Amino acid sequence: MSRAHGLRYRRRRLTDYVARGLGTVATLFGLFWLTWILFGSLSQGLHAINLAIFTQTTPPPGAEGGLANALLGSLMMSFLGVLIGAPVGIAAGSYLAEFAERRPLWRETIRFVNDILLSAPSIVLGLFVYTLAVRSVGHFSGWAGSLALAMIVLPVVVRTTDETLRLVPNVMREAALSLGIPRWKVTVQVLYRAAAPGILTGVLLGLARISGETAPLLFTALNNQYWASSLDSPMASVPVVIFQFAMSPYDNWHELAWAGAFIVTAFVLLLSVGARAFLLRNRVEATS
Amino acid sequence: MNELSRPADAPHALPTKISVRGLDFYYNGHHALKNINLDIPDRKVTAIIGPSGCGKSTLLRVFNRIYASYSGLEATGQVLLDGENILADEFSLNRLRTRVGMVFQKAVPFPLSIYDNIAYALRHHLKLSRSQMDDRVERALTEAALWSEVKDKLKTSGLSLSGGQQQRLCIARAIALRPQVLLLDEPTSALDPIATGRIEQLLNELQGDYTIVIVTHNMQQAARVSSHTAYMFLGEMIEFGVTGELFTRPQRRQTEDYITGRFG
Repeated sequence: MSRAHGLRYRRRRLTDYVARGLGTVATLFGLFWLTWILFGSLSQGLHAINLAIFTQTTPPPGAEGGLANALLGSLMMSFLGVLIGAPVGIAAGSYLAEFAERRPLWRETIRFVNDILLSAPSIVLGLFVYTLAVRSVGHFSGWAGSLALAMIVLPVVVRTTDETLRLVPNVMREAALSLGIPRWKVTVQVLYRAAAPGILTGVLLGLARISGETAPLLFTALNNQYWASSLDSPMASVPVVIFQFAMSPYDNWHELAWAGAFIVTAFVLLLSVGARAFLLRNRVEATS
Repeated sequence: MNELSRPADAPHALPTKISVRGLDFYYNGHHALKNINLDIPDRKVTAIIGPSGCGKSTLLRVFNRIYASYSGLEATGQVLLDGENILADEFSLNRLRTRVGMVFQKAVPFPLSIYDNIAYALRHHLKLSRSQMDDRVERALTEAALWSEVKDKLKTSGLSLSGGQQQRLCIARAIALRPQVLLLDEPTSALDPIATGRIEQLLNELQGDYTIVIVTHNMQQAARVSSHTAYMFLGEMIEFGVTGELFTRPQRRQTEDYITGRFG
């Protein structure tokens, strides 16, 4: 043990203070921008938030209106995107974690390709879906928008499901197999239950991510000034409306853009925080 | 010289439940078990002891073929359970595992209620009415000396129990299927002495109905619970005999060295 006072000790303490100081400054720097964005969108958007936002459709320049059709469009396409992307992602993640034991090359290739897909620019995914689902039928649609969003959700869910399942202790797998339970049942009935918080978090994070995606929707769902008659027609979404309104010279459109930005930011923030809080709460319960 | 002082591959006086003949086991090419010959006596507790890495857990895991879910692991030779070779491809894994149960070093209850932990495998294998299921669950928990502690909280999570209770739950889960053989891989090494004592007592009570094979690195435990002991070293079966004899008058020098603590 070193002495409590001495040159070396004082030097170490100094280094500690400097390092902690730098760390604090870096944290504050990061937090500053986050707070600025949040307060910026809050102050600009909050006074534009009223009941009309949720009841009236997007207006022409200069007129009164809201974001109701954009909100509904975003909700529908995000929900569908998760509905398509999450089950496929969970199945693929389960395959990678549980059933590709004897094919390491194949397994690692899939993981690698998934990672590429995860970081692929969303506009590229949008272009792909445009060729697949828009040009082939000749019109923009909510379906194409949902499909593009599903392709963004998919690699997120694959990754989190894969990693969460691998975190389940091997002993649990072996204990279930030792009871004569077939492999697929072990995965679905035991491992999913053990991995549920992590898998759900992955799905929620995927949802948070697609809530703010603009580029892929630009040329799949396009936009719609009115209520979309069905998923088969172009649909409005909040990010695309923000894009359109913010770049215009009209004041009422600017206000609505800020309101939309605030809503999206608040939604994503609540979802991310909520997902993590949910995950941690379950972890605490399991260990108590 | 009594018949038990012959080398490990001699036929045994007691009825044999598991008969290992010429077993070799390979781990990605590494020769982990070398020409194992062993007769596990029926309805007795057999302990397998030896230093770390000697292959005792590997041998145990051959008995329910749990290694089959991993790639790169291979067993050759014969392991006869009541005369049938369980290593044969035709021997169904599910059938094997309803006859041979396993308890692991780490107590790992399923993320289900206590009741469902026991009922889970029963539901898969059997068609039971609600009252029959209740009876089976109660019987398994009673045999595992856990019933009185959990009977009022069967619906609570299995994870809410203490470490020793969780391990007894895992034992109850394994014996609920009424296997003929119970394999235990260092079941008490993660438990405190009192919990360990209760489980050892439990094994004593179970042995009349089940053939028990327990791997332990604790020689005193082997001496306490088992009627027969096998000593392994570097993948080979060095000696096998009645526990009392093995510990007081070992036949092989290597056994004696290990028991007296000269190494390992």
